[in-house]
Amino acid sequence: MTGPVVVCTWAGEGEAAELLTLGRTVSEALGTDLVWLVIGVTADDAAETAKRYGATSIDQIDNNRVAASEPDATVEALSQNCSKRSPRMLLFSQTFNVRLIAPRLGGRLGSPVVMNATGIDAESGKLLRVTASAYGGDTQVVYEIQGDAMPIAALMPSAVEPQKSTAQTSPAVDVFEPDLSGVEERIRVLEPAHAEGPRLEDAQTIVAGGRGLGSPENFRLVEELAEALGGMPAASRPIVDDGWTDPSRQVGLTGKIARPALYIAAGISGASQHMAGCAASKTIVAINSDPDAAIFRYARYGIVGDCLELLPELTRAVQER
Amino acid sequence: MRIVVCAKEVLDPDAVNNYALSGGLAIGDDGRTITSSAIPRLMNAYDEQAIEAALRIKEAGADHTVTVVSAGPDPAAILKHAVALGADEIVSIPIEDAGIDYHVVANLLAAYVRSSEGAGLILCGRQASDDDQGVVPALIAESLDMPLISIARAVALSAGGTVRVTRVTPDGNEIVEADCPAVVTISNEFGEPRYPTASMTIRARRTPATVVTMSDLGDVDLAARVTLVEQSVPIVQGNCEVIDGESPSVIARDLVRRLHEDGILS
Ligand SMILES: Cc1cc2nc3c(=O)[nH]c(=O)nc-3n(C[C@H](O)[C@H](O)[C@H](O)COP(=O)(O)OP(=O)(O)OC[C@H]3O[C@@H](n4cnc5c(N)ncnc54)[C@H](O)[C@@H]3O)c2cc1C
Ligand SMILES: Nc1ncnc2c1ncn2[C@@H]1O[C@H](COP(=O)(O)O)[C@@H](O)[C@H]1O
Repeated sequence: MTGPVVVCTWAGEGEAAELLTLGRTVSEALGTDLVWLVIGVTADDAAETAKRYGATSIDQIDNNRVAASEPDATVEALSQNCSKRSPRMLLFSQTFNVRLIAPRLGGRLGSPVVMNATGIDAESGKLLRVTASAYGGDTQVVYEIQGDAMPIAALMPSAVEPQKSTAQTSPAVDVFEPDLSGVEERIRVLEPAHAEGPRLEDAQTIVAGGRGLGSPENFRLVEELAEALGGMPAASRPIVDDGWTDPSRQVGLTGKIARPALYIAAGISGASQHMAGCAASKTIVAINSDPDAAIFRYARYGIVGDCLELLPELTRAVQER
Repeated sequence: MRIVVCAKEVLDPDAVNNYALSGGLAIGDDGRTITSSAIPRLMNAYDEQAIEAALRIKEAGADHTVTVVSAGPDPAAILKHAVALGADEIVSIPIEDAGIDYHVVANLLAAYVRSSEGAGLILCGRQASDDDQGVVPALIAESLDMPLISIARAVALSAGGTVRVTRVTPDGNEIVEADCPAVVTISNEFGEPRYPTASMTIRARRTPATVVTMSDLGDVDLAARVTLVEQSVPIVQGNCEVIDGESPSVIARDLVRRLHEDGILS
């Protein structure tokens, strides 16, 4: 029997259901256990979730430094947990902190690391294959995992549809106490980030503008519609780079990953690097003067026209209701 | 202090994007290599910004040197560009396969730093725009036992040998500090890199790259950990309903009505 598949999430962050679903597929294919490693205080319903998604057991690391993702402490704690569990594979959901922690842990353990994973093809006796996105989503690549070291993969948000397990498990919670006494954080935080106001990641409604707005003043039209809808304004990268709005509003591969119920994209072409940050929206509405714009491929509703005319009309139509 | 910048040659991501959208991105018979020959090769944009970061640190005073190193099948062109931007020294680590495992690349880059004069600061891009992995800098940091500070929008060195970095996080800017040597990755928020001047471009033509071979690097782990075996263009299945009408206001009201009917707006 090989080691378990371990899926690791921070309490309250990442998409545990998606990750557990992927982890279960892999562990079943390899005929091994599925361990859910939760960092921070587990929610009351964690055991329930673990049961529904087929985890065999829950490991919990309840340590402030690891919960805060302090890099040196976290890499050390995870590598200690890996020594104890000897996982066959370790999976994360790709959050901002995981983008730093997962490859460092990989370096520490000599592990193969694949970020931006969208799926895993596992079959007993064969090499693991991890599918990942490349070129900002323009292409999809498959990496074959070589060697004996435990592979690490980070799953992109929304890449996997959560699916409950048919067989119920009764997972026990095992608290894992890492020994971090010898670990001094090499990075000192002088000024912590403090989110001002609501975050795009949590917004239910987003109105985003791009270069098609024509000029910086017109970003106001995006803000007005967002306000009328009780949502948040956002932007594509070029207009952020040009200073039309704040960098915290950038959606995409190198910006925020949003998953609102409604995403209205005005004057945005739909480059894959932009869609990487909003393709998981439930409903996308595209307003673009070019009927061939890529954004229409992702949209539920499309309007071919001038966003400078349509945005104020939409604001009015929303206010009228 | 010696500043080493790691720079990768990539296919122009905008050109790849255009080809992918038009359905014309060609993948070779090996099933994994993009073969559209009209796509320009250039320096990964974040790495260009990393060079800019190094140059700004150098210009801020003290006695710093900037070395740009690249591993790849033919890094000559981007290394010349690095000199034109202002690099003092360029180093090429020739490897045959462009699709080589990024773990091996990291081992080579770390071995280069170890076997040369070391580095007080290593600057990388936040990710390569081809593989998007953002893994190489972390592997270099672990291999050289240095701290890694990721996604920087500003970097400064203090006289006491610490590096101070403003990071772009989902919760806004964070300012952190670490003792050198350290690895820092640069994000696009850093700002535009400079343009090479004519005289620098001429200088670049005359500046040869130091070519580093495997035997110069000593004991390097060259075992592949991941192998790229397939590459394809994912197909986006559209189901867009186009809303048309006699005027923007009619269209707008129609859209809002539908969003209500769908239960998306309440
Ligand atoms: C490594 C990398 C990372 C990147 N990361 C990101 C990222 O995180 N986020 C991001 O957004 N981009 C990112 N990009 C850039 C991305 O590739 C695109 O260049 C960018 O998203 C395009 O922005 P845009 O749609 O606003 O502009 P454009 O592509 O110029 O599109 C403007 C659109 O507006 C339409 N238009 C023009 N006038 C009007 C009008 N009056 N009314 C309606 N429509 C109009 C046009 O038809 C066009 O479709 C990245 C690129 C790279 C290489
Ligand atoms: N072949 C290479 N040569 C030099 N630097 C590289 C190479 N590959 C990656 N890097 C550096 O590592 C960063 C992240 O690359 P990656 O992990 O491939 O996304 C790049 O922005 C470069 O700074």
